[in-house]
Amino acid sequence: MTLAPSTRARPDDSGRPVPPGGWLGWISTTDHKRVGLLTAATSLVLLLLMGVLALLMRGQLARPEETFLGPHLYDQVFTVHGSGMIYLVMTPFALGLGVYLVPLQTGAPGIALPRLTLLGYWLYAFGALTLLAGFATPTGAHAAGWFSYPPLADAEYSPGTGSDLWIVGVFLAVTGAILQGWAVLWTILRRRTRGMTMLRLPVFCWAMIATCLMVIGAFPALLAALTLLAAGRADASLFASNAWNIGYQHLFWFYGHPVVYVMFFPYLAAVAEVLAVFCGRRFFGYRGTVLSLLVFAALSMSVWGHHMFATGQAANDYYSLTSIALLVPAGVEYFGMLGTVLGARPRLRTPMLFALAFIPQFLIGGLTGIMVGTPVIDYHVTDSYFVVAHLHYVLFAGSAFGLFAAVYFWFPKVTGVLLDEGMGRLHFWLLVAGTNLTFLPMFALGYLGMPRRVSTYAAFDGFGTLNLLAGIGAALLAAGMAVFVVNVLRTLHARRLGRARPAGDDPWDGHTLEWATPSPPPRLNFPADRPLPPVTSFAPLLDLKRREGSRA
Amino acid sequence: MRRHPSAVVVAGWALLNGVLLAVLAVYGESPLVYWLWGGVVLVLALAAAAVLVSSRSAPDQHVRYRVPDRGAGAVPPAAAGLLLVALGFVYGHWLLCVAVPLLGVSAALAVRGTTARER
Repeated sequence: MTLAPSTRARPDDSGRPVPPGGWLGWISTTDHKRVGLLTAATSLVLLLLMGVLALLMRGQLARPEETFLGPHLYDQVFTVHGSGMIYLVMTPFALGLGVYLVPLQTGAPGIALPRLTLLGYWLYAFGALTLLAGFATPTGAHAAGWFSYPPLADAEYSPGTGSDLWIVGVFLAVTGAILQGWAVLWTILRRRTRGMTMLRLPVFCWAMIATCLMVIGAFPALLAALTLLAAGRADASLFASNAWNIGYQHLFWFYGHPVVYVMFFPYLAAVAEVLAVFCGRRFFGYRGTVLSLLVFAALSMSVWGHHMFATGQAANDYYSLTSIALLVPAGVEYFGMLGTVLGARPRLRTPMLFALAFIPQFLIGGLTGIMVGTPVIDYHVTDSYFVVAHLHYVLFAGSAFGLFAAVYFWFPKVTGVLLDEGMGRLHFWLLVAGTNLTFLPMFALGYLGMPRRVSTYAAFDGFGTLNLLAGIGAALLAAGMAVFVVNVLRTLHARRLGRARPAGDDPWDGHTLEWATPSPPPRLNFPADRPLPPVTSFAPLLDLKRREGSRA
Repeated sequence: MRRHPSAVVVAGWALLNGVLLAVLAVYGESPLVYWLWGGVVLVLALAAAAVLVSSRSAPDQHVRYRVPDRGAGAVPPAAAGLLLVALGFVYGHWLLCVAVPLLGVSAALAVRGTTARER
């Protein structure tokens, strides 16, 4: 029998206490749930902003020779959209999810290093503001793309403070991510409750281990790259040497490829949890999936050079070999997901719909990733819309669908109320239609030769129809996101008025420990009068329900 | 090592990175890459050592926890101070005149232990 964790909070006998419910209580909180919520909510707001920027781009490209956005403004918009989605939305949301859920899933009353976790949030929030403040500078925001290669990003070709603010903003946001990554990793490794052995950790926690190992291993390389870029902007002669131009690319992509998996594993794991819960069975192939996550993460540290095939200055054979080797662990994970679903009678609620759509859509992103990881194909499609399509299938059709599966799945735990199912389904179908209508034509555009990052194209290029389709898809995406925003705001408003549909503590028949505590969970996660159930496997609540069922 | 599985996970992952780096050396790359990835393997090895030291000094799983929250009020001013230090590289080092006092306030709040009383 596992004992419930007793908590021994230090008596607060010094310093001026801050009221818990006020804004001061929120901004200086050490409650991992509040920090996780702040991180996730900030990134969701930024997601909407980045979506608006995407709409501006699709509007500009919907017709040939359009002049709605000038070339320089277009460059700023795609740079901030790409930077924002990666540094400020998908990565922080993934870590915020970990900050919120990991202590609950491991049975701990709090996160390790809570003050550093909070500092991580504030550095991220200030970093986001700084990056966006570039739009208010006389020369506008940074405009050299999310990876900002020198010499394009140096002071000669990208003058103005907008670029400097971009460097500062990204530096702060990534530093915040590293701090939160350490906290989440330490919590899983060293703060587990009794009975929670490493091989009884939920799949989500294992995904967070792999994610955080990549964060602490790879993210400092970006800080080094940004420092190099800042030094090069101060002293232009630095980038006169090709060694540092290529050196920057190595530093950047050493971060830039693992971050793709940082933006993928937590969402994959959220999908895995959703599939298992809505199929009413434990996740298939648990040990294989755990091993594949760790191998996948290690391999992901070795493939960065495939982004540099076209430079002719990378060991192409090695990077191509490791990139293709990624298929093996990815296949194991897919096998696990399919094995969980096949033969089951799934309940098709909104989180499950998003999780099911994740499987084929991410597959398209993954398989085209293998294509661009092969030098002969990469030479043909590099810097074309094919790459844009590939990365959006990975990060939007894949990860963002995992993100929404997670939001719909854990929203009742976080708030105590359920989102509206009908609006959730509408959101889902608009997103499925919009995603595929927007990004599928981009494969063809890239194959036909449309380069990425061009603000317009000529009518005789023949790109008009496919771009128009992508524009219509983007409008559907906007409609879907509007439905989501209305759903969330309406539900929260009804909750405030006491009219929302209460979710109960375990509305989905969950498998992991967070569903054994009230919704929303109390400050120390598990109330003293409700001891934790025995941790007998990675799905302790499923075990408990089955035991109770067999007893009955 | 079965008694310290969490340290084994981190050490194993560092080792896997080391193996992949060794294979890269067979193919040949620029010296920067070896320094970069080698440094990361070293950081991961240190992280594994830290987990091992922690595992040896406390149980692998817990029934009693410490939930530290003293001095959390120092965090927002510390973050604002760090932001101003970073902005000093853009707008000039005069911003340190604001950043340093802010970091001082943060240090004072940390020492005083100001925190949100959350229940």
